Amino acid sequence: MSGEALELRGLSVSYDGAPALADVHLRVAAGELLALLGPSGSGKSTLLHAVAGFHTPGAGEIHLAGRRVASPEGGVPPERRGVAMVFQNYALWPHLTALDTVAYPMRRRGIRRTPARRAAAEILDQLQIGVLAARRPAQLSGGEQQRVGLGRALAAEPDLYLFDEPTAHLDTHVRAVFLEQLLGRLRDTGAAALYATHDAEEALGVADRIALLTAGRVIQVGTPEEVYRRPVDMWAARLTGPVSVLDDQAGRLLVRPEWACLDGDRPARIADVRFRGPHTDHHLETDGGALLIREPGPPRHARGDRVTWRLRESWPLPEPV
Amino acid sequence: MASPRLLRTPVPAVALLVACAAVLLALLPLVMMVRTVWVEGSGRLDTVLDRPGLGEAVMHSLALAMAVTVLAVPVGAALALALRRPDLPARTLLRVGVLLPVLVPDFVLAYSWLRAYGKSGFTDDLLGLAWSGIQGPVGVTLVVAINAVPVAYLVVAVGLAARAEPSLEQAARAAGADAFTVLRTIVLPLLRPALATAAVLVLVLTLGTFAIPQVMGSPAGFTTITTRIYANLARSSDPAAFVEAIMLALLLVLVALAVVAPADRFLGPRLRVARTSTTEPAPTAAPRRAAGRWAAAAIGGYLLLAVGLPLVALVATALTRGAGLAPVPANWTADNFRSVLTAPNAEALGRSLVLSMLAASVLVVLGGCLAALERTRVGRSAGTLVMLTFVLPGSTLAVGLSITYGRWVGGSLLIILLAYLAKLWAFAHRPISGALDRLPADELSAARVSGASLLVAVRSVVLRPLAPALLAAWFVVFLTALHEVTMSILLYGPGNETLAVVVLNSAELGQVGRTAALSVLLTVLLLVPAGLCWWTVRHLTLTRSSRASRAILASPLPDEASRVG
Repeated sequence: MSGEALELRGLSVSYDGAPALADVHLRVAAGELLALLGPSGSGKSTLLHAVAGFHTPGAGEIHLAGRRVASPEGGVPPERRGVAMVFQNYALWPHLTALDTVAYPMRRRGIRRTPARRAAAEILDQLQIGVLAARRPAQLSGGEQQRVGLGRALAAEPDLYLFDEPTAHLDTHVRAVFLEQLLGRLRDTGAAALYATHDAEEALGVADRIALLTAGRVIQVGTPEEVYRRPVDMWAARLTGPVSVLDDQAGRLLVRPEWACLDGDRPARIADVRFRGPHTDHHLETDGGALLIREPGPPRHARGDRVTWRLRESWPLPEPV
Repeated sequence: MASPRLLRTPVPAVALLVACAAVLLALLPLVMMVRTVWVEGSGRLDTVLDRPGLGEAVMHSLALAMAVTVLAVPVGAALALALRRPDLPARTLLRVGVLLPVLVPDFVLAYSWLRAYGKSGFTDDLLGLAWSGIQGPVGVTLVVAINAVPVAYLVVAVGLAARAEPSLEQAARAAGADAFTVLRTIVLPLLRPALATAAVLVLVLTLGTFAIPQVMGSPAGFTTITTRIYANLARSSDPAAFVEAIMLALLLVLVALAVVAPADRFLGPRLRVARTSTTEPAPTAAPRRAAGRWAAAAIGGYLLLAVGLPLVALVATALTRGAGLAPVPANWTADNFRSVLTAPNAEALGRSLVLSMLAASVLVVLGGCLAALERTRVGRSAGTLVMLTFVLPGSTLAVGLSITYGRWVGGSLLIILLAYLAKLWAFAHRPISGALDRLPADELSAARVSGASLLVAVRSVVLRPLAPALLAAWFVVFLTALHEVTMSILLYGPGNETLAVVVLNSAELGQVGRTAALSVLLTVLLLVPAGLCWWTVRHLTLTRSSRASRAILASPLPDEASRVG
């Protein structure tokens, strides 16, 4: 049992009879970051809330560090599970300053006010928001609020972090800075984490492994490269990034935009061209169907041009059983 | 908050209407009262202040207000917290039950308590248990507190919905706090503004309460400012008593303002933006069924003793042949009901209904105008002015209106209608204003850029979502006016009684069976439209929110997936 930070055994959760999670089996190793990738309503938040102890499972069990914390009969209350959570909407308490918010988990562990505040100030400094210690949430920007939320989670020194779409409300630029800090601090603590997101790029970038969720079910678990290069079905393929489907003699092939390139042995017509800065998306009409090819640099062709292309890699779409 | 430009309508006409109404209904009567005291009281002030029992009545009112606040606010807060638990058995039923005292007229509740726990009451007849102190300060305090609990409950429940989002409590639980610590360090600090508001509201309402001290206190010689105003005006022809009544009425306003003004300064901005959230609270921890059952049992027991048993006693009294007889089937009769179904009582009922409907219809328009006006720069002060009528005690308004307009319309139904309009304007304004706040500012703009003129846009996208609030405002005014007695009893003329006045007069005459029968009829009369209103508003709100939830369910696939494919 040792080495597992979290284990879900056949976890099912339902709201008023409507199933939100069905028979989920998952393991998170110590120090591992597992991303939960799925569209809204797929059960990511429900899963995190069940692990935190806000929902009782309808069936199955939750084990944290080898200890059973939840089963349909009941479970350990949230405050004694040794987890910490970062919320999508920050969930900062309007009446507490940033300093007292970060000190809160330490106060709950019985640390006196002064040392707790001193430690909280240190955490805020590490997150580069030490100057904001005296501010309340209403006086902070979204990025600053989420950093306070991260500080609060760090102060709890948990064995397992739960991130519930922490960057969903942040601007692109702020998001990058926040993610860098989150991953850096997480690596320092060596704790495990569950990271829920609907953003494929983010999941692929942060995770050691990714679990794909759809309608309350896990459809695939693997390393980012595995789920990106060998998706189990069309759903998994679309969830993890842009993809085209080509009809070939061999069957239906999945092609990622960078798996094909212009100039080759097959003919096609350019249906559309989109310049995206670092790269250009060429939408091709081929004999096998529509194909997206992504190449670095500015556009090389105009709409309607006749071009040639070749395939460097593909993944045969597994036939539905 | 809706943007100020949401309703940039032709302002002047609406502003003029609202301003005229506010001046005529509230400001002018107050000015006339001050003038009358000045003119009539000069040279007579010593005799007025020396009248026996004056200081006592003032002290009673203040002590009563404070005691009721101390009792009602914690109970209301505890109810709001308990009724939020998702694991509470029979939660919907208990929620309706907690609000029930609002629908039972206060004098009916007071009378029911006398019939339940007083001498030769229900418990006396059945168990030989009678509480002699019920007529007097303790009984009055208890029943006024029970009557005020729903107000405190509502304010705290709204505060909970607006400020204490579930994720805030979940964050605290995940940070290592147990349920009690979450209550102490997160929920209660967040509720501080709501608790303060509830306290101010209960204090001010209690200062103006009349019917309960009149029914339960007066027989035992326990007077308050309001009952003394009534005694001075209705029972005395002494000019000094008249001046004293006006002075007391003004004193009530001053005390109310002294409480409200500082509170409004601190809490005002927060109170105005307070909005109810429509989301059901998510659980903050896996439910504990045993605790839920205990809470439900405690609430149920409280409701049973405070409201249930007294109402049963009231019905039993109405059904029992004579005052001294035990309420057992052998003594049952329909005579009491038969004896109150008279032509004069039917006319009184008709007057009550017409007055209440008129007041409700006029005030939905005036309340809507005010709510719209408040969102312009000109109108904000008008809003404050009308909110002040909320704290004007009914007794004060009645005295002021009767001094100002008495010589033309005194004793007529018109002056009672004016009193209802003045007193209940704020009641109509609040739900409409709240609904306007929740209206997304962009909806109107979206209709305009889709080609709708202002009028069409208001009709098609504002009025429909506002319908539940307008209806609720209408019914709140209608129901409150139907059991209003504080002002009516000071203003009615011979042959112009409202049904509530008939009930109170009958209680004063000691007609036990008849009073009980009339009280039962009046309560049923209130419960039927209240149930109807609840159902309709709920229906209207549900159809709208289910549309919203469908829209959420139809949300698109993740970005990348839908872009390419």
